[in-house]
Amino acid sequence: MKSYKAQRRLSLSLRYVLLAVLVVVWLFPIVWIILASLSYNDTGFVSTIWPEKFTLSNYTGMLLNKQYPFLDWMRNTLLVSTVSMILSTFITISVAYTLSRLRFAFRKKFLQIALILGMFPGFMSMIALYYILKSFNMLNLAGLTMVYVGGAGLSFYIAKGFFDTIPRSIDEAAEMDGATRWQVFLHIGLPLSKPMIVYTALTTFIAPWVDFIFSGIILSSSGNPKNYTIAYGLYNMLHNAKGTSTTFFTQFIAGCVMIAVPITILFVIMQKFYVNGITAGADKG
Amino acid sequence: MFRRKNKLPPAATYREVWRKGDWTTKLSFFVMGASALKNRQWVKGAAFLITEVAFLIWLVFSGISSLSMLSNLGTLKTKKVVFDQSQGVYLTKLPDNSVVILLFGVLAVILLIAMVGLYWVNLRSTRKLYVLNRDHGHIETNGEELASLLDERLHSVLLTIPIIGIVAFTILPTVYMISMAFTNYDSHHSIGFSWTGFQAFHNVLSGDLAGTFFPVLGWTLIWAVCATATTFFFGVLLAMLIESKGIKHKAFWRTMFIIVYAVPQFVSLLMMAQFLDLQGPLNNLLLSWHWIAKPINFIGASANPLVARITVIVVNMWVGIPVSMLVSTAIIQNLPEDQIEAARMDGANPFQVFKSITFPQILFVMAPSLIQQFIGNINNFNVIYLLTGGYPMNNNYSGAGDTDLLVTWLYNLTFGQTQRYNASAVLGILIFIISAVFSLFAYRRTNAFKEG
Amino acid sequence: MKLWQKFALGSTALLSATVLAACGNSGSGSSSSSSGKNGVSGSVKLWVDNTQVSSYKSIVKDFNKKYPDVKVKVTQSPNGSSNAKTDVAKDPSKAADVFEVPNDQLGQMASAGYINPLSPDATKTIKQDNVDSAVKGVTWKNKLYAFPFAMQAQTLYYNKSKLSAEDVKDWDTMTAKSVVATDFTVPYNVYPIFLSAGTYMYGKSGEDLKGTNVNTQEGVNAMEWYAAQKNNKGVMQTSSVLNQLKSGKAGAILDGPWDAVNIKKLLGKNFGVAPYPTITIGGKKVQMQAFLGIETFAVNSHTATKNQKAAATLAQYITNKASQLVIYKDQGQIPVDKSAQQTATFKKNPVAVAVKTMSQPGHSTLMPKMPEIATLWDQAAPLINGAYSGSIKPADYMTKLTSFHNAVSKAN
Repeated sequence: MKSYKAQRRLSLSLRYVLLAVLVVVWLFPIVWIILASLSYNDTGFVSTIWPEKFTLSNYTGMLLNKQYPFLDWMRNTLLVSTVSMILSTFITISVAYTLSRLRFAFRKKFLQIALILGMFPGFMSMIALYYILKSFNMLNLAGLTMVYVGGAGLSFYIAKGFFDTIPRSIDEAAEMDGATRWQVFLHIGLPLSKPMIVYTALTTFIAPWVDFIFSGIILSSSGNPKNYTIAYGLYNMLHNAKGTSTTFFTQFIAGCVMIAVPITILFVIMQKFYVNGITAGADKG
Repeated sequence: MFRRKNKLPPAATYREVWRKGDWTTKLSFFVMGASALKNRQWVKGAAFLITEVAFLIWLVFSGISSLSMLSNLGTLKTKKVVFDQSQGVYLTKLPDNSVVILLFGVLAVILLIAMVGLYWVNLRSTRKLYVLNRDHGHIETNGEELASLLDERLHSVLLTIPIIGIVAFTILPTVYMISMAFTNYDSHHSIGFSWTGFQAFHNVLSGDLAGTFFPVLGWTLIWAVCATATTFFFGVLLAMLIESKGIKHKAFWRTMFIIVYAVPQFVSLLMMAQFLDLQGPLNNLLLSWHWIAKPINFIGASANPLVARITVIVVNMWVGIPVSMLVSTAIIQNLPEDQIEAARMDGANPFQVFKSITFPQILFVMAPSLIQQFIGNINNFNVIYLLTGGYPMNNNYSGAGDTDLLVTWLYNLTFGQTQRYNASAVLGILIFIISAVFSLFAYRRTNAFKEG
Repeated sequence: MKLWQKFALGSTALLSATVLAACGNSGSGSSSSSSGKNGVSGSVKLWVDNTQVSSYKSIVKDFNKKYPDVKVKVTQSPNGSSNAKTDVAKDPSKAADVFEVPNDQLGQMASAGYINPLSPDATKTIKQDNVDSAVKGVTWKNKLYAFPFAMQAQTLYYNKSKLSAEDVKDWDTMTAKSVVATDFTVPYNVYPIFLSAGTYMYGKSGEDLKGTNVNTQEGVNAMEWYAAQKNNKGVMQTSSVLNQLKSGKAGAILDGPWDAVNIKKLLGKNFGVAPYPTITIGGKKVQMQAFLGIETFAVNSHTATKNQKAAATLAQYITNKASQLVIYKDQGQIPVDKSAQQTATFKKNPVAVAVKTMSQPGHSTLMPKMPEIATLWDQAAPLINGAYSGSIKPADYMTKLTSFHNAVSKAN
């Protein structure tokens, strides 16, 4: 019996060691990114793990940079992501609810079409989106928001999977009592879907902070960096004129760290909802 | 379109409606909403009528011209440079802008289809009114009509705005790009281009791009399989490690891994590229530890293709395993314990339990999301674009490198040096076909698996 | 433009209840109808590289003293002037009226119709004021297409504590004593070896589609040179030359004048700059060549007719001698104006002098403007890299060079 206990203990400590090693491997590059953001550098390339010289000037430089107005980017992105979050969440939840709880002739077709549309690579639509927005004179943050919101109607899978798990008998009981479907949606569907709303809201909120492709295509032609969102702004810092990547590289890293921190925190909060959503969705296929 | 299970009146053919209906019913065949107005359904009737009027105005003033221009995408195809005496400068008379003509042509076609659909709805509602009048049924009042929008027609209310969004931002661009594949839109016809049928398909599948297309396609598929399989398998293992008996602070351990996934990819992957550079920190570290004698070229332009491809898959594991760990954690927590216990009783060792019970069960639950991940990996732009930019270079390819996927190549063809928009549209269509075939096949298999 | 305005109106009517209801004019700026002093008026949008915005704002201030009726809006090029071709092509009507563009993109932009030939007056002034290579740099099919204001050629930057002025005159002595770092994956850096070896890029004129004669013994010699550098301990492949120069692992680098200020900061009193050395190709000592690029401002052909004159006037003003000297002082851009090159500040600056030496024929080749050069850039990188890394075997050099030649000589 004693040897069994020892074996258990050995197995447990081995597992702890393995986990610790894995965590170190996983976090090592992240720690390096943070170290790099604190290092003094004038060559546009970080070749060491440990900075030769620590400095906070990258952070202050980024915040005070006139060519690359970081604070304006923050404000723009916050605006876009908040509006997009509110509208997209509403759209996604109502589409998911409709497709899951309501029965109507067009339903099957809608699901099939959505499935097909989802298989076209999103990049295909970039040129067209640019011209559509241009013809309505919307090559700006409002137009970008509309692009994010416009796609929300197709990202209902996880939320639909969630609604599918709620028994329909609840709705039927309410309808027996004379509630309209709108009332059922408002008073039963929405309160029940709280975790799903949080999850959808967080994902749609995060999206504008990490998208540098669509935002670049829509916002770049203004040539005014004050109008950029954060992801494109930072990306543009590295890929603009010759020599700029040298000058601004460490400021870029500092900027990245500054936005990665809040997003990471949001994501860590979100992970529970994420898991619930994706497993509920996966169960039903 | 509408749910009318119990109050469904006996149907009538449109022929009967046309022959026996009163004059407003007949008029409804031309003036939408006429019969609704007659029957005091003001809101519905007015909506029909106003839409029709607006549509006709649009059709006359711009619809017809844009539809007709769709046939040749503009008549003026070449530019003309003229000297303007009054200002003393040269001016260029530009070709007709086919991009805009095509886009609005497609839009016009969509509007036309939408109008036909609406006309059909109008006919149905006219027929319904006719039947109700004939059989002296109850004709819904304005108030009832509106109230039904919040009840049995709630779906149409909830779906209207999303559908408009989908049409404007997904369907219209997609149809537009599909049509672009049948033109000669490239850097030589960048303003005025014309229809050229399947020429662009020919270029990609058997012309000058074929030598790049098939190898890139092959790597895309290998990549998608490897990326999906590795992240899934090791994600499950990691989840089981964290969930195994005796480990404390499980949430803490999970969060440690999730941090990597939570950092925006354009940050983590761009920095990873530098981390792995020939003179980057990783190589310097390994050199200073004397683990290697010479820096390893992981993902540089002149790296060994095999090394680079393995590196890409490994880095993708770094980003992807945390997610699949999270998902499998939830599944593991909900796995029925009894089977595992029974197997243990029978003397199965942990490996056997994993192989024949835990893993198949997880696979079963995860199958649909695995298919989605697979499709997602075929289109995994970020990992390749940010990490390697398609490098290492391959002198047999045109405009792509050894780690380029179809989707990053598509991007290069549009925004890179060569600007072959039509070829990139063709690639988009081919990617769609590949994804569709794979998911159809996979869904079939998993369904059969579930039933059997 | 009319077409889609009509359309916008039409579709808005139909979709009036929808979110798409926004509609507006997409005209290109306001107009001022009165023609003011000098008879030039209008409103013009100017794209410059992001680091130069403030310099050009001050130049434009001076411009407005002379032309008060021209409204100028200075903004940065979306993706930098080196991507002007793609930025303008994305949507010419939204691009700036006057934009900064390197001369090698002029050919494609001209044949696509994005830019107009310059007026006879402007042509005369440019020819009078600027050095020959700059004029040639903006000429395409016997017409001038842009206003030159600076030249760029890579030179050798070296660390004086590791190499002497004598050492850097020859590649072989230099690489025996210290390490030269460059990026073999960027054809801009290394393609000129083909030119040093005696081949032409699109012919002597740079406008001859079939003139890229690399499928010759000279071409093979160049390939052998690349391959030899892989085993040369004194040559380093790097994606960050500055980092290697700073850390002391490299004693010299090949780089352009745009990095000169940074390099001065890194090396301090050890800063050295020199024209390219001689190299040994095919057993012969020849001058190592670089590309000569001309930075220019071009006028967008989509600019409204009423603003064309104002745009051309602005482009001419911001590339005149005084403006060239401002940009030289602020940004280290090497002027191409004949008299600007005679000023004391120019002659005393080793970087400027080295670049000027490099701009002579024999030291450099003007970047061709052929639209097909896009294919060449795409294909040259893996070709050179293949020779350098050894993934192309010497026996295959000729086959690869021939297929390269065929690819770049095809009007696609």
